[in-house]
Amino acid sequence: MSVPGYHRPKSVEDAARLLAETDGARCLSGGATLVAMMNASLAEPKAIVSLAGIPELAGIAELANGGFRIGAMTRHAATAADARLAGTLAVLRDAARQIANPVVRNMGTIGGSIGFADPAADYPPALVAANAEVEIVNAAGRRRVAARDFFVDWYTTACGPGEFVTGVHLPPPRPGAGLYRKLARVSGDFAIASVALSAARDAAGVSVRIAVGGCGPRPIRADAADALLSAKFGDAAAAAAAGEALAAAADPVDDVRASAEYRRLVIPRLVAETVAHARAALEAR
Amino acid sequence: MSATAKAVGAALPRAEVREKVEGRAQYIADLYRPGMLHGAVLGSPHAHARIKSYDIREALAVPGVHAVLTGDDFGDHRMGAFIKDEHAIAKGKVRYVGEPVAAVAAETEAAAKLAARLVSVEYEELPAILSPEAALAPDAAIIHEDVASYFKVFDTGSTANVCSRTSLTEGDAAAWDRCDVIVEGRFATQPQAHVSLEPCGALAEPDATGRVTLWSANQSVFRVQANVSESLGLPMAQLRCLTPRVGAGFGNKMEPHIQPIAVKLALATGRPVKLILTREEDFEIVRARHPFKLRVRTGALKDGTLVAREVEVLLDGGAYADDSPGVLGYSLFMSPGPYRFQYRKASGTLVYTNKLRFGAFRGFGNPQVSFAGEQQIDEIAARLGLDPLAVREKSMLRPGDKWFGGAEVGSNGLEECIARVKAASGWAKRAELEPSAPGRKRAMAAACTAHISGLLATGAIVRMLEDGSIVLNTGAVDIGQGSDTALTQICAEALMVPIERVRLASPDTDGSPYNWGTTASRVTYTTGRAVVAAALEVEKQIKQHASEMLECDAADLELRPGGRVGIVGVPDKAVSFFEVSARAHWARGGPIIGHNSLVFERPSVDPKRAIAVGLPFPQIGAFAFGALVVDIEIDETTGKIEVKRAWSAADVGRAINPLAVEGQLEGAFVQGMGLALNEEMVWDGPRLANPTLMDYKVPTALDSPHEIHSIIVEAPEPDGPFGAKGVGEIGINVVPAAIANAAAIALGKRFNALPLTPERVLRAMLGK
Amino acid sequence: MTLALSINGRIRHVQAGLSDTLLTVLRDQLLLTAAKRGCNQGVCGACTVLIDGRPQRACLSLAANCEGAAITTLEGLQRDAGMARLQKAFTATGAVQCGFCTPGVLVSAHALLSHNADPRTDEIRAGLSGNLCRCSGYRKIAEAVAEAAKEAKP
Repeated sequence: MSVPGYHRPKSVEDAARLLAETDGARCLSGGATLVAMMNASLAEPKAIVSLAGIPELAGIAELANGGFRIGAMTRHAATAADARLAGTLAVLRDAARQIANPVVRNMGTIGGSIGFADPAADYPPALVAANAEVEIVNAAGRRRVAARDFFVDWYTTACGPGEFVTGVHLPPPRPGAGLYRKLARVSGDFAIASVALSAARDAAGVSVRIAVGGCGPRPIRADAADALLSAKFGDAAAAAAAGEALAAAADPVDDVRASAEYRRLVIPRLVAETVAHARAALEAR
Repeated sequence: MSATAKAVGAALPRAEVREKVEGRAQYIADLYRPGMLHGAVLGSPHAHARIKSYDIREALAVPGVHAVLTGDDFGDHRMGAFIKDEHAIAKGKVRYVGEPVAAVAAETEAAAKLAARLVSVEYEELPAILSPEAALAPDAAIIHEDVASYFKVFDTGSTANVCSRTSLTEGDAAAWDRCDVIVEGRFATQPQAHVSLEPCGALAEPDATGRVTLWSANQSVFRVQANVSESLGLPMAQLRCLTPRVGAGFGNKMEPHIQPIAVKLALATGRPVKLILTREEDFEIVRARHPFKLRVRTGALKDGTLVAREVEVLLDGGAYADDSPGVLGYSLFMSPGPYRFQYRKASGTLVYTNKLRFGAFRGFGNPQVSFAGEQQIDEIAARLGLDPLAVREKSMLRPGDKWFGGAEVGSNGLEECIARVKAASGWAKRAELEPSAPGRKRAMAAACTAHISGLLATGAIVRMLEDGSIVLNTGAVDIGQGSDTALTQICAEALMVPIERVRLASPDTDGSPYNWGTTASRVTYTTGRAVVAAALEVEKQIKQHASEMLECDAADLELRPGGRVGIVGVPDKAVSFFEVSARAHWARGGPIIGHNSLVFERPSVDPKRAIAVGLPFPQIGAFAFGALVVDIEIDETTGKIEVKRAWSAADVGRAINPLAVEGQLEGAFVQGMGLALNEEMVWDGPRLANPTLMDYKVPTALDSPHEIHSIIVEAPEPDGPFGAKGVGEIGINVVPAAIANAAAIALGKRFNALPLTPERVLRAMLGK
Repeated sequence: MTLALSINGRIRHVQAGLSDTLLTVLRDQLLLTAAKRGCNQGVCGACTVLIDGRPQRACLSLAANCEGAAITTLEGLQRDAGMARLQKAFTATGAVQCGFCTPGVLVSAHALLSHNADPRTDEIRAGLSGNLCRCSGYRKIAEAVAEAAKEAKP
């Protein structure tokens, strides 16, 4: 027994084929975004391709190189709870645990979330800071896109027609710190502005990747900011300069959460605070 | 009556709690009637336009559609609490984006919504007036061209786009000359959405004669009856209005939403019709809290004695008057706060604009004027180097003092409220509070307030069933605040019966005595008085029977716990209510019924003391008092304010149910925190930009302080039921003011605009 | 077209179109009206039910996508000892005012206590952060959950 238009394929390839061949089909991950849009009559799909029945999309698997592959259907609650995402990868756990609230975290998935590419969402800057790659499927096969290139514009990703996210690849965790600091009106809201930072420490020094969310069509990053922080991780002036570089690279808008001007004002302050917390975390180890 | 309280003062669970925790409570959306159709409305895309024509053919062709109605199907009847300016559905003109212009009844909700979207309306756009200033401009487009001819309950002074004007003056303006310090400022507050968890809805069912039974989410079955009958041109007797469980109101459900439309659809189709608003519609087409612009001046002597206050306000009333004239009048009436002044002047103007109507919302203008007035008292204290609470204590109204304009104040527990919040919060040591972490500033501040609880009409009927148990009928709607329980406790206490022996009838315009509504914090006091009086009548009838049964004087009888009546001093000479009721039913006198009906009669203003122009409430009073202390922290990185602890004291006269009183104080505090810190309805040109819970945010469990200490003060109101006064609103009034006072102490900057967003605070910190 | 859903331990057959949510099916067809429609966008929490033991939004779950999952509503927890302790605590502490949020709150609280029998106050607040209440200010709700947890200890 089933509902006309509803499909529950068992493989990624079947799902890709259904999406390509079925007129007006949308793929369904956790439903947090698509079903809300359907309820508001903002989306009226003629067919639904549910990804819930595809085993390879579920779960977080350790890879041979020590990195991880997070299946697209992995719920935020599972990502937030996975202790293997430690060291520099903790930025992703920290971001996942701050998405919405515990009930929505039981439903929303990483694939659905990043596929929607809301610039105020929590994964995009965290994936950039974690140096992640996004795995995409199409009729021809699979390809991977670096996170910094995956988020293209407002609600626009590198996915083409008929393509969808199958997983997220993370490099091996390195000893260090990973933090996600989110400023929002109330708990669980989308970010007014957020800072995702990973700081790897080894004998050579500290290697920092930093990205800002909620302040433009894509996660904001700046080579100069990464370089400054990596070179002089302990230096307040370097953190301030990195913050200014990120604020300059930002392209915020006025919206109901905050004004563009406030975002530009608060970015360097959040960056300085997050860097200070990361330093404290490194010193504590 | 008893000397030992068993019901009144007891922290009893809500009468209806079991169905609520089992999920069996039936709210409007949970009701189903056989043959029921579903309703939907189409809203106007324009803020201001004439309606030229409709084409409903495509809508009628949708399978399952039974009726498509437009303004042409409704007569030219208007409703309105103070000014009858509003049709049941847009007629001739639309005045705000989203205003219902067409309505559909169909077999399914989906079909109704689809058909509604297919109604085609031709408009001639008019200039949209989107601010009070634009409305007052000399050549502004006029929103209500016929305002002069609308029926008005009082002399509103309506003209052009001015909806109403009010002023109240008491004392001699020469008092300003005696002031050693005067502070003056301009303030602005924002529109707030109620966000009751339950969206508005109605279910109307016609009978064979065309009489309609109407259930709806409401705060007054009688206001529903009046509004529907007026806007549809129906005699009131043609409508029977009932109430299901109501999922909160805060004022949103006090006046009409889509009830008239649901009734009209039911009459047009001959079928029951249920119309439940979406959350977006609930934001866009019901009502919201008035944004205020204020100019306030306060003067004092150098020892801190308050001398003079002048308040001038400008209210954006939105497209229809609704309760707005009342909010204007009440805000001015409350604007001096609970203090002695030698001179007080308050005046203001309410203006129509092409936005959603603004209306009743917990506090009813008091929070907005308090935001200004309570900050100015703190400013004066700061300038004089005095303790802000000491300044308030010096000038607070004392027992025997009258309110602004000369209204009688019954009981006044303000002094105790202030003393207890000071003690509980450690006020004396507030300067020693340390931030909880580096990079945060911490401060403690206070504010005081008063609110009324007596207003307009109410009644109560108390009947004894054959078995001696009691049925109470008051017409008061419990919207979640606990009035059903409180009124039952009052009745049980009055007759000394266990609470389980008192049943409360559900409000029903057919069977219940008139009750103006659940608003103005009035039910416990106003309706409670009627319950006590009706119970007293029952007691007299019981004693009359008992005196004949026991062969004694009625004056020698006393009620005894558990439904008995006996001779004073003679324990074994008694009869039960059961026996009395049996006698009444079968032998003498007839079934026992007691009733009482009252209108609150104490005048608002003494014309020998004050000059009032356009005051909408000639009789209002029964003042409750409150004091609030907050302990806040400011994140210096972002400017975000967090309330860490709060102490909210309220003189409620007598706490009929302490759990319910605490619930009101705690809930009001958090709703006030939303008003203070981040809630704001934002317009993007003519349309509301954030009509969803994604975009309009209310505090969650993680945003609300763990420590909200409710402090119950009891200064019995002489004619209150067991001394009780109201508490529904007082807990919200000074939350924004107290938080702003604390921010000013922490940062040395005054905040004249709400909400105190991180942006406003950070800019103030950085001097930007 | 009929769908077979497991609701409160029984298979129920319902009619569902592609866009019908679990919430609409529960309320309109099965008359299980404890789950409420407060926003239909997954924000307010009034529609919270358990799906495979985890609290989720019925308004964001397509009915068609729920075949094979075990759905539990408040109605189905009436004989659960943990739920009974919660209901007793909510009743006694005054944590229920209008009651519209209550079913969703009870389901979330039940799930919280099932996984964390002795939560701290901040854990209780975090566990309930997906349920909006406009009446209570949350203090009595948190107190009731703590009380229910205490009652469970041997």
